[in-house]
Amino acid sequence: MTENNENTDKADKNSLGGDLILPIAAFIFTLYYFYTIIDVPRIAQISAFFVGIILIFLIGLLAIRIGREVKAGTADLRLGGIIEPRSFIPKRLALLALTLGFIIFVQWLGFTLTVFTFLSLAMLLLGNGRNKGFVFAIAGILSFGGYLLFIVAFKTRFPAGPFEQLMERLF
Amino acid sequence: MEFDPALFIDLFARTFTFWWVILPAIFLGLIVGAIPGFSAANTIIILLPMTLAMDPEVGLIFMVALYASSRMGAGIPAILVNIPGTAGAAATPLDGYPMTKQGRGQQALAISFVSSVFGGLLATIITLLAMPWLSQVAFYLHSVEMIVIMLFGISLIATIAARDTLKGLIAGFFGLMIGYIGADVVYETPRGTFGFLELYDKVPLIPALVGLFAVSEAFFVIEGESILSKRGKEAMQKAGWAATIEGVKIALSKWWHIIWTSMIGLVIGVVPGAGAAIAAFVAYQQSRAFSKTPELYGTGHVEGLIAPESANNGVTSGTLVPLLVIGIPGGATAAIMLVVLQYHGVTMGPDLFMESPELAYGPFAAMAVTYFIMIFTILPLARYMSRITVVSTIYMSPIIISFTLVGAFVPRQYMFDMYLALVFGVIGYVARKTGYHTAAILIGVILGPLLETYFLRALKMSEGDIMVIFSKDLANVLWVGLVISLCIPYAMQRWRAWKAAA
Amino acid sequence: MARTALDNWEKIMFDDYFDELDRRRFLAGSAAVAGAGLLTGLPSAEALANKFPSRNIKVYVPTREGGGADRNLRAFSSIWKKYLKVNFEVSFYPGAAGRVGYEKYMGLAKEDGHDLLFGNMGPEVLNWVVKKPTFNVADLVYFAQMDRDPGIIFVGRKSKFTHIDQIVAEGKKRTIQVGVSRLAHPATLGVLALGRHTGAKFNVIPLSGGKNTRAGVATGEMDCGALPSGGIARRGKNFRILAIFDNTNPIPDKIKDAVLVNKHFGMNLPPLIAGARAFGIKKSVIEKQAHHFKILKDTANMVFNDPEYREVLKKTKVPMALFTKSSSPEEIAKYVKDITAIGEQYRDLLTGKS
Repeated sequence: MTENNENTDKADKNSLGGDLILPIAAFIFTLYYFYTIIDVPRIAQISAFFVGIILIFLIGLLAIRIGREVKAGTADLRLGGIIEPRSFIPKRLALLALTLGFIIFVQWLGFTLTVFTFLSLAMLLLGNGRNKGFVFAIAGILSFGGYLLFIVAFKTRFPAGPFEQLMERLF
Repeated sequence: MEFDPALFIDLFARTFTFWWVILPAIFLGLIVGAIPGFSAANTIIILLPMTLAMDPEVGLIFMVALYASSRMGAGIPAILVNIPGTAGAAATPLDGYPMTKQGRGQQALAISFVSSVFGGLLATIITLLAMPWLSQVAFYLHSVEMIVIMLFGISLIATIAARDTLKGLIAGFFGLMIGYIGADVVYETPRGTFGFLELYDKVPLIPALVGLFAVSEAFFVIEGESILSKRGKEAMQKAGWAATIEGVKIALSKWWHIIWTSMIGLVIGVVPGAGAAIAAFVAYQQSRAFSKTPELYGTGHVEGLIAPESANNGVTSGTLVPLLVIGIPGGATAAIMLVVLQYHGVTMGPDLFMESPELAYGPFAAMAVTYFIMIFTILPLARYMSRITVVSTIYMSPIIISFTLVGAFVPRQYMFDMYLALVFGVIGYVARKTGYHTAAILIGVILGPLLETYFLRALKMSEGDIMVIFSKDLANVLWVGLVISLCIPYAMQRWRAWKAAA
Repeated sequence: MARTALDNWEKIMFDDYFDELDRRRFLAGSAAVAGAGLLTGLPSAEALANKFPSRNIKVYVPTREGGGADRNLRAFSSIWKKYLKVNFEVSFYPGAAGRVGYEKYMGLAKEDGHDLLFGNMGPEVLNWVVKKPTFNVADLVYFAQMDRDPGIIFVGRKSKFTHIDQIVAEGKKRTIQVGVSRLAHPATLGVLALGRHTGAKFNVIPLSGGKNTRAGVATGEMDCGALPSGGIARRGKNFRILAIFDNTNPIPDKIKDAVLVNKHFGMNLPPLIAGARAFGIKKSVIEKQAHHFKILKDTANMVFNDPEYREVLKKTKVPMALFTKSSSPEEIAKYVKDITAIGEQYRDLLTGKS
């Protein structure tokens, strides 16, 4: 696994704000989950209550641990590791947007065109626009290969777009 | 079901003459095993018209070969790019991927291949010899016993994040809570579904798997040039055939480890519905518990790679046992084999061994021969497969994202599942960046619902008496075993400290 | 659609691959049928524009591809398209015991008669007893019921029970564990009713699907099981059927020693048909496009009377007696009413609110 928060912030203080994101999400989710099972049969509650209460307890322990470190002045609640290295924030957000775009547009563009567009744009984004020809070639080969494998061979019912419809009409 | 050497020799010799079926099946299996969302089961369905047209024996050999090799194929992306192709390979990246990052991808593949092949081969042979006894396992491991077996696997979350146990536990329990999303198995009351009908049947596994591992990885690695560390890249560029040979040697030197972890897989595989994921996690947990160097697990430790790989291949022949003996398939792929066999008028059950032993034992012979052929065909490929790790992240990340999103879509063909993969990708990314163990979350997501299923079933059977979990002798033995295996690493640590001091 | 193959993922139940096989098998047969359809001549585009149906029939199936509904639908539509002169486009929406498919149909389907649903009425109607859907249940009407497969009680071949009376007698001494596919299921209701009537203590354990239920019975964790008859009768070597929740034994050549629950115990249960696959259509279509629905209904009746249809059914390998020979809306309405009513009686047990 690739946990590496230890070497991301070499400032005087340990930034532990990021460490709280997941526990807070888990805490909120657990409360929401409890809310949804208030009124269900006991059998459907029992193991979730058991696990959920332990989880909240563990989160409490972590909060105490972090609280102590902050109080002792050895740590603060800045986001730290999660946004480091900062130079990559725009790229990462752009990649996230492209990924979201992939999922949204695949319904209209279909498998092949979406994969091609996504691969091209993402590779150009990460490579700062270098090797355009190579990028388009790779994206073309992979998206067409994917079309042959997933749609033609494995008959996956991926949303059909203009390309798939054209191919279907041709063959 | 007596053992008759002449029958077996004849059977093996005969199966070898079908190498022309086995070979293409092996390569197809490797490919579908390596793509998340695909697996032997759905490939066999797609190819069913072809399989049915084949002679029953040929069809069966084809399916078995495909099944065995897909198991191995799932380990390849797990080791090289941290993407387990199926749930059964979810424990493989724990030590396989760190090895890759150190530039030992080729070696890791070789180790994985050798432990898969020998684990699978051994389990197959044991199955052949011990079929009458093995077939009884399913009659003893009922819900209560399965609860404890699940806990063996789940206890991994306590030890997996050795660097920060508290964070590891939070990740694991968060995973369990996520795994509890969906309708309960008794009254079908939806819980924690955010109102999505798509989550009624629990969190679908592949979107969670590719999200937590692959998508988060793709967002993570763009900081570097390739997924390898600098030193890893140098090691990778120098690596020749020697690395494969080295891997084989290392794996063979751990022969005992391969044997007993594959036996864990075999026994768990015999229980209908249990499967490769739980076997792999339990084997990994046991391997770590009895290791002299538990602290090395998760850093690219050879035993940590051997255990899940030989265990999940041990499962493969195990799932065929209940199919052949009581006509109940042990897993999805076995279920489809049943269809093909019944199509040809073969009725499963104890009579089969008397009436047509060549068909009853045939699948195991085919599996053994497949594993044997794989040694010579797959091993040499490790060197070339591992090259993928030097591909620049500029190209690697987008490819991983697009093709794993496709994989998330494939099993249920809901757009929803692609969004879900992205959500899990974000969770995985945050977890990685802030020192929470994504594998711990995944163990919870995979094993949580299984644990709850067996637990609620037992609870319903006992009409709500929670003490049911201690109501069976065998289960109580397993409880003791669980406690022992949890205490052993701690005890051994103390023992060594005491010895060092003395 | 749910050709899922996440090996070992408990929730994915390949509980009846036989069905899948059979489907593939008769596909070859239906190709010939399709060929015959072509010879009769498809109407011109002009003619299509003026009449119903003017485009392909779209069918929403609330279960996975390759299941019993898929098998039956393909058999029926391969003949029906001959009369409707359009093709069938099938989409599968498995999940939540059929809820996903019904919600999608009621939410997305157009109200012109071209969009239909095809599901298994029994278990799916009981969904609404357990938890109301977002739509009004009365807005969906079933027609053209294809099969009629009653719920049964079965044991493993090696079980010490050889007669239902033994199970009932034992159930008066101790709790009998009965494996069922799910709680909201006609076969489960039969077991609960039998327990209430005889005083035997039956504890129904939902095992999520037919495959798991068979496994639970075969491995001895359950004392007996309750499922539709077809899947068990086909596996006669491994299981024995002891009781039938219907007023006749539909397949006496396959089910030899079973009792009819009503007759044997002097009960008055409605037939608890566990396999009752039929088409569904929005009520609004019937009201607003009455003549479209009439065409659908009339042509469906033609299918039932078509000898070719019987041929296609034979290829499914399901005992022919489990398929209906005709289907009247009144009977279907009564069935839905009966199942709902008995479901309501046991609502507390099904929802755990007792």
